[in-house]
Amino acid sequence: MAYSNQTRLSYQNILKEIEDNGLYKNERIICDRQGAEVKVEFPAGSEQKELINMCSNNYLGLSSHPEVIKAAHEALDHRGYGLSSVRFICGTQDIHKELEARLSTFLGTEDTILFSSCFDANAAVFETLLDEKDIMISDRLVHASIIDGMRLAKAQHDTYKHSDMKHLRKKLEMYQDRPRKIIITDGVFSMDGDIAKLDEIVALAEEFDAMVFVDDSHATGFMGQKGKGVHELCDVMGKIDIITTTFGKALGGASGGCVSGRKELVDMLRQRGRPYLFSNTLAPTITMATMKVLDILEASTERRDKLEHNMKWWRKELSEAGYIIVPGDSPIVPIMLYDAKLAQLVSKDLYQEGVFAVGFFFPVVAKGQARIRTQLSAAHDQKHLDQALEAFTRIGKKYDILGKTKQDLIGT
Amino acid sequence: MEEKLIEFIIDEFLDDPDTEITQDTKLISSGLIDSFSLVSLQTYIEQEFGKKIPAPRITAESFDTVRQMVEVINQF
Repeated sequence: MAYSNQTRLSYQNILKEIEDNGLYKNERIICDRQGAEVKVEFPAGSEQKELINMCSNNYLGLSSHPEVIKAAHEALDHRGYGLSSVRFICGTQDIHKELEARLSTFLGTEDTILFSSCFDANAAVFETLLDEKDIMISDRLVHASIIDGMRLAKAQHDTYKHSDMKHLRKKLEMYQDRPRKIIITDGVFSMDGDIAKLDEIVALAEEFDAMVFVDDSHATGFMGQKGKGVHELCDVMGKIDIITTTFGKALGGASGGCVSGRKELVDMLRQRGRPYLFSNTLAPTITMATMKVLDILEASTERRDKLEHNMKWWRKELSEAGYIIVPGDSPIVPIMLYDAKLAQLVSKDLYQEGVFAVGFFFPVVAKGQARIRTQLSAAHDQKHLDQALEAFTRIGKKYDILGKTKQDLIGT
Repeated sequence: MEEKLIEFIIDEFLDDPDTEITQDTKLISSGLIDSFSLVSLQTYIEQEFGKKIPAPRITAESFDTVRQMVEVINQF
């Protein structure tokens, strides 16, 4: 019989184990648009609560922007709802080609190809471009989607210690004889919010004749003076062979992603990229709304400037309040608590105090590295940040976290 | 062989070079190193000891301690 009691029981046991370990995820239901403030129902059926959202990737506050929504409406009117086709059959519209060209210009690359998500983009890249004689050398903290993408490839894979350029050099020396070498990194790392040393990586790549791959999902739109990404920030535009990024964070937050880079590499993905060949084309609404986002970003840097201002303020105030935060220059600000239980308690209390921020612990981050990851947005006004800071300060005092060292907190 | 493996593991994977590791320290199941790093070990074993261990024999279970690693390596 399909799905026997035995099979059902086996999964129930796994789910119970997840629950017993305190790792069961419950969704919080937002009865609202995404924004700096959201109405949340948690648990389901309870009264809705208005919260300040400190955990979205809505970095530029564009996820509910009226112009972005208007562009999506126009797309529905002029290009329909869906194409019901993969790109290479009858799923390519003029707007897809236009968006690809716009992204190439924005990112400073030769060509761009769209995907349903950056997860799909990362799944396509390595399997398509590399064979069993090649080597992928990745930072140890790359995103899960890159890890999954590398698993699909026939090329061998090795890693270097996080952001450790000496160790990367050692690996490049070790694999000098491989026909193709590719260095793989996030632009901004999603758990610590730190930034890849792209200038040093590019220098090493040039020395050892390696390609460079960067997933800039937590950077496109706001890192660098014009928001082009970490390659702009590190002054290596035009030197990154493959950039992948998402439209599901700063660039509108719906879905979609792309690979942007060297012409031949992009063309290879069009010819052989499995997610491209076997998955539906990007919806017209997302395509045209993403172009509107690019219009907004190219017209003015005010949003990324406000985000930078918010980020600097938040980092300074949290540190002065006595929290340990991972230092850096990105709007991802992890507040280190180390202990998983403490992270869960703080997150729960924050919720009661009207702040939406989630605790991260093993296996999402290494054991003993639990944190509350806060994320800033250009949608945050000063009043939101003031209120959030007050809540964090009250809770910090309640659990006696403020002004403590890592050792103190681990002992808690 | 055990000593060389321990030295490699500390140097390659751990941030703190003073970490104490024995032949029986659980490496992967304790979260000290992640299973993804097993490829580095595979390459090191081939380069240092000249032994080519097939990927299916290098798993989070069979390579959890240095003692277990040596057992597998000696089969090749």
